[in-house]
Amino acid sequence: MDIKYALVEFLCKNFMVDEDEIDLNESLIDQGIIDSFGLVEISAFLESAYGIVTQQEQMVRDNFGSVHKIVAYVERWRS
Amino acid sequence: MLAPLEHRGPDEWGVYVNSHLALGHVRLSIIDPTGGHQPMNSFRSTIAYNGEVYNYIELRRELRALGRHFQTDSDTEVVQQAMEEWGVAALPKFNGQFAFLFWDKRNKQLIAARDRFGIRPLYYLPYKGAVYFASEMKAFDALPDFRRTWHPDNLLIHGVLWNTLDAHTVFKDVQSLPAGCVAVFKGQEKVDLQTYYQIGASAAEVPASFDEATLQLKALLQDAVRLRLRSDVPVGCYLSGGIDSSVITLLCKAVKKERFKSFSVVFDDETFDESHYQDAMTALIQSDHHAQTIDLDHIDKHFLDAAYFFERPVFRTAPLPLFLLSKKVRQEGIKVVLTGEAADELFCGYDTFKEMKLLRAWEEGAGREDIRKILFQLYPHLAHYGAKDKLGFLEMYYEGFLGKTGGPSAGLAIRIHNNQVLSKYLNKDWGVTFRLDTLETLVEAMLPANVKQWPVLRRNQFLEVKTLLSGYLLSSQGDRMAMAHSVEGRFPFLDHRIVDWAFNLPETYKLNGLREKHILKEAFGRALPAAIVDRPKRPYMAPELAAFIRNGKPTEKTAYFLDDQRIRDYGLFDPKMVARLLFKYRRRGIRDIGYRDNMLVSFILSAQMVEYWIRHPQSRRLTDSRRQVDIMEQ
Repeated sequence: MDIKYALVEFLCKNFMVDEDEIDLNESLIDQGIIDSFGLVEISAFLESAYGIVTQQEQMVRDNFGSVHKIVAYVERWRS
Repeated sequence: MLAPLEHRGPDEWGVYVNSHLALGHVRLSIIDPTGGHQPMNSFRSTIAYNGEVYNYIELRRELRALGRHFQTDSDTEVVQQAMEEWGVAALPKFNGQFAFLFWDKRNKQLIAARDRFGIRPLYYLPYKGAVYFASEMKAFDALPDFRRTWHPDNLLIHGVLWNTLDAHTVFKDVQSLPAGCVAVFKGQEKVDLQTYYQIGASAAEVPASFDEATLQLKALLQDAVRLRLRSDVPVGCYLSGGIDSSVITLLCKAVKKERFKSFSVVFDDETFDESHYQDAMTALIQSDHHAQTIDLDHIDKHFLDAAYFFERPVFRTAPLPLFLLSKKVRQEGIKVVLTGEAADELFCGYDTFKEMKLLRAWEEGAGREDIRKILFQLYPHLAHYGAKDKLGFLEMYYEGFLGKTGGPSAGLAIRIHNNQVLSKYLNKDWGVTFRLDTLETLVEAMLPANVKQWPVLRRNQFLEVKTLLSGYLLSSQGDRMAMAHSVEGRFPFLDHRIVDWAFNLPETYKLNGLREKHILKEAFGRALPAAIVDRPKRPYMAPELAAFIRNGKPTEKTAYFLDDQRIRDYGLFDPKMVARLLFKYRRRGIRDIGYRDNMLVSFILSAQMVEYWIRHPQSRRLTDSRRQVDIMEQ
């Protein structure tokens, strides 16, 4: 499944938003879609869906600062 | 309207009627049980008064020196005569917790007043050409053809701030007289509203040194406890196991010098259990101790009962243990308890004060290692995050608030940010028009004009007192849960002399590094069991979900209130969103659910239950034999 599609579907199901409410270029925290625990939930999702174990130094806005950044992070990890 | 309030005053009741108004009163007899009947009528005035003015003995002396004579030993008569003598200038003289209606016969006007911090409630409702007053909003449902209806915008604001602003409540047309205010009504019109007290307005002298400050705190608090032990019925104490209530029980012991009853909640689940701290204190003060054990079934079973009294959505199940504890207190024959409420606001016990400190350190250039060190101190358990290797996410989260700590309302930024999700859950067709991006402006409008000159911590303390304490903790968790079983809570930390004094203390006296309540611990630490003074923070858990969702399924009661059809019938929430939330719990263990989702469950469930009680008002009647006052005048 397309990473972006899978991630957006996860967000919609778990954070009670509709797809058109998510700005893919903005921080999910800043948009009020997730709180701090939401990042833990997303990281757990990435681990279960893609086997990505996020290390402390990877928990930065460059990797988790928006849907597009998370997708790029997954793609980098997979490549 | 009196019958729905009988729990607040089961001992006796009375009415006063003239051609302009009717005053009713239900009495919980504490001071001068045989003399202080209400409404209290004199040649010049009539008063219906709820609460206590603790310095009534000193005020009575002052009034006698002015030539006044007293028929009773009650504080009610002192308040009445003080109002007759000084008018609203009497209010700043009162040290206590009160709300009253004072009918001025000469000027044919009604004065409504409320204590400085809003400990005692006073609601009013303009309706069909009259104005009605009550201590609890449910009383208005007794009016012909009236039923409370929600105010969608105010419900949203309440959801985000944990309180409504100014005089607003979550219900249309129902107003709350703001804390520290006095209003004058003539006919059906409110002709004047004055603020006689504002926290932070007094320039209390700052102690010369920390050592001097600790001595002053000891003296002030001991005197506050002494005054609050004035009662003609036995007084007990709540003992949670934390330092606040431990200090109060310690001082109670010092002042009373005789054995008294203390009361604690003991949680069946050892994760929440604090009984070994309570045991250490009861061994020290040798109190006659009584514990109310609570488990998850209690929370599930009695949450609806508590909702009848808290009357608006709540965000945690915290009111419930206090609801059951007051029942225990009453069963033990006690009507009055001292508690440690408000020390968190005065001496910076909440994490929100530390979070703002963290952000300020970060903004001022603290290194990543220092930030992590602070985060570890803030979240030593990191249960939220499963393990400490998730610390980076916490950093990311707080990073989003950098640059936002300087504004006057910055102290509420994190709460507003976390809670704004509630706007998605409200019924989209319900007519919410309020824009959350204007909330900051509304909050700033309630701040004093000189707020920008205040240190950041003081601003944040002000906001906590004005939002969370006055409108939520003292009401939904304080007054309503105690009065549900006819128990009066008294709060020594809210003696205004202590509040004004603490408010002006240097920041490091209160929050020293990240050590909260520093001065309280230094002042009383050596007299308390060491384990209580610097006890470790407890891990965050999800008691709400654990009580209401079992093995992924809502309990029977939860299922009833979150049922899709009932959500549609009541019309407060978006059924799709509630269904999604339940779906989430079904798939995941409650230990994998964060703080925000946990809060959502409490909010939605409690709002549904409040609506249930509006639709199912209780039919109650007062007992005729308990009527002590029945006056009719022209």
